[in-house]
Amino acid sequence: MNHETLRRLTLLNQLSLTDAQKEDIIAFFARQEQGLAALNVVDTESVERMVHVMPILTVVREDVAAQPFTREALQSGAPDAGEGYWRVPRVVE
Amino acid sequence: MRYETVIGLEVHVELATESKIFCSCSAKFGAGPNEHVCPACCGMPGMLPVVNKRVVDLGMTAGMMLNCHINRTTTFDKKSYYYPDLPCAYQTTQWFAPVAVNGCVEIETSKGKKKVRIKQIHMEEDAGKLVHDIMPDTTHVDFNRTSVPLIEIVSQPDLSGAEEVIAYLERLHALLRFAKVSDCRWEQGSMRCDVNLSVRPEGSSELGVRTEMKNMNSLTAIARAIEYETARHIDALENGTEVLVQETRRWDDVKGKSYAMRNKETAGDYRYFPDPNVMPVVIDDAWYAAIEASLPELPEEKRARYISELGLSEYDAAQLTQSRALCDCFEDAVSVCGKAKDAANWINSEVMNILNARKMNFDMLHIDGKSLGALILLVADGKVGRANGKKVLAAMFDDTTIDPAVYAEENGLIVSHDTGMIDAVIKEAISSDPKAVADYKSGKEKAIMALFGKCMKQLKGNCDPQVLHTMLIDAIKATE
Ligand SMILES: [Zn+2]
Repeated sequence: MNHETLRRLTLLNQLSLTDAQKEDIIAFFARQEQGLAALNVVDTESVERMVHVMPILTVVREDVAAQPFTREALQSGAPDAGEGYWRVPRVVE
Repeated sequence: MRYETVIGLEVHVELATESKIFCSCSAKFGAGPNEHVCPACCGMPGMLPVVNKRVVDLGMTAGMMLNCHINRTTTFDKKSYYYPDLPCAYQTTQWFAPVAVNGCVEIETSKGKKKVRIKQIHMEEDAGKLVHDIMPDTTHVDFNRTSVPLIEIVSQPDLSGAEEVIAYLERLHALLRFAKVSDCRWEQGSMRCDVNLSVRPEGSSELGVRTEMKNMNSLTAIARAIEYETARHIDALENGTEVLVQETRRWDDVKGKSYAMRNKETAGDYRYFPDPNVMPVVIDDAWYAAIEASLPELPEEKRARYISELGLSEYDAAQLTQSRALCDCFEDAVSVCGKAKDAANWINSEVMNILNARKMNFDMLHIDGKSLGALILLVADGKVGRANGKKVLAAMFDDTTIDPAVYAEENGLIVSHDTGMIDAVIKEAISSDPKAVADYKSGKEKAIMALFGKCMKQLKGNCDPQVLHTMLIDAIKATE
C-alpha cells in the first residue's frame, strides 16, 4: 500500500480521507504486509482454497416468484423517491 | 501490409426463470418501475442472498450445450462496481470458480467449419435501469432488472471478422433456445454482446491494442461496428491517424461510428473477492446426471432424424428445426396422429400462415401440439374438411384449451355423411348451371370444378371432397 494505490482505491470507492487517515491506513497495511510475509514462508501447495469458514454448502431455493414487499414500504426510508423510482443525484457519463 | 482482425465476444443472456437469482422477486420483463423489488435486490443492509436452483440448472445446461467442463464446486464472488444501478455497490458474479469452463462451439461460414473455444460461462446478476430524462439534475432508479439472472459466455479471441461473429452468435442463439436456457430476444435485451477487437499484421502472434464495444444488441449493428472498428484500427496502424488505446467504445448505429467512452477498468480495479454470504454450490452426481438427461437433441440431429426416420423432405425438416417451439408442436402432433408428413405439412403451411398473419414469431407458437394432432386425424379421416380444419386451427390460436372434435361439432364443421342431403345439393347445382354440365359432357373436364365449388359452398365444406366428386360425376352422367 502506497499513496498512489490508496488514491486509486479512494477514487473507486468514492471516499474522501483526511491526510491523517491516509497515513494511518498506510501504516496499518505496512504492518499487515509484515504479517503476510511471515505467512508466505509456509508451504501451502497442497492446501485447498478456503471460500467459507462455515461447513455449509449448496443453499438453494426453488424457482418460485413472490412479491411480499410493497414498493411504498421499501421507499419509505429513501432520502428521495417519486413516480415509483428512487431518486439520486444525476449521474451521466 | 495485410492485417487480420482478432475478436473475442462476451455474450450476456438473461435466463428463462420465474424469479431473480438471489431473491424471490419476479424476473419477468415489462412491469412498472420498482414493482419487482424486495429488501434483498434493492440492497437493504442485512439481507442475505439465496441462490435460485434453476439458475444453476440453466448455467449447467448452457455449459453442456457448449461442450464445457462443469465445475462441480462453483462459487460466487463480489465485483466492486460503484454506480447507482447496483444498490450494493458490487455485483455478485463468478470469478474464481465459474459454473462452466473450456468449451467449444462449431460454426460454419463461407470459409468452412471452425471451432470457437469458450473460455468460461459464469452466472451473475443483472444491473438496474437508470432513467435520466424525467427531471433535470436527477437520475431515477428502477431496480426491477437488478438481480435478474444472467449467464455471461466468454469466448477466446478466435473470431476473425463479422461473418464468423454472426455465425457464432446465431449458433449460440439456436443452441440456447433449443435448450430453453433463454428466449434470447435481442430486441428486449435478453441477449446482448460485448465485442473485444484488435488488429495485427497477418501471421503475427502478438495481439494489438484491444478496444471493447459494450451492450450491442443487434446482429446488423454488430457486423457494421466490426467493419468500422477494423478499418479504424488499420488506418491508425498504417497512417498514424490516431494512437490506439485500450478503451471501451460506444457504437452509434445511426451515425455508423464508434466513440470513446472511458478507460477500460482492469480486473484489479473490480477487486473480486469471494462472497461470504453465498455458500458454495456443490453439484453432485445425481444433479449432474439429471441435467445431462434433460439436454435436447441438437437442431441438426432432429433434422437428420425427421428425414431418415419420419420420411420428411429436406425442406420440411429444415423449416421445422428453425425453432424448438415448432419441433415440440410437430412431435406432439405426430405422437397423437402418427402422420409425420401431414403434421409437417400442416405446420409449415397453415400454422405458418396464421403466425405470419398475426405477426408472431415461431417461438410464440402456443397451440397444443397434441390438439393439432387430433385435428389432423379428423381431417385425414374425412370427418372435417380441410378448409374447415383451418377454421378449427384459427380457433385453437384464440383459445388453446379447445378440443378440435368438440369445437367442430359445436360449430357445424363436421362432414355430413347424409347422402340424401348431398344428392339434393347436387341436383340443385346441376339444374342451375346447364352450361357447365354440357361443357363437361363435351369433354371439358375442368367444367366440373364450378359445380363442385357450388356444392361445397352449399354444404359449408362439410363433405368429403372425394365422395362429392364421385357423386357429382355420377349425377351428371345420369342427365340425358
Ligand atoms: Zn428482490
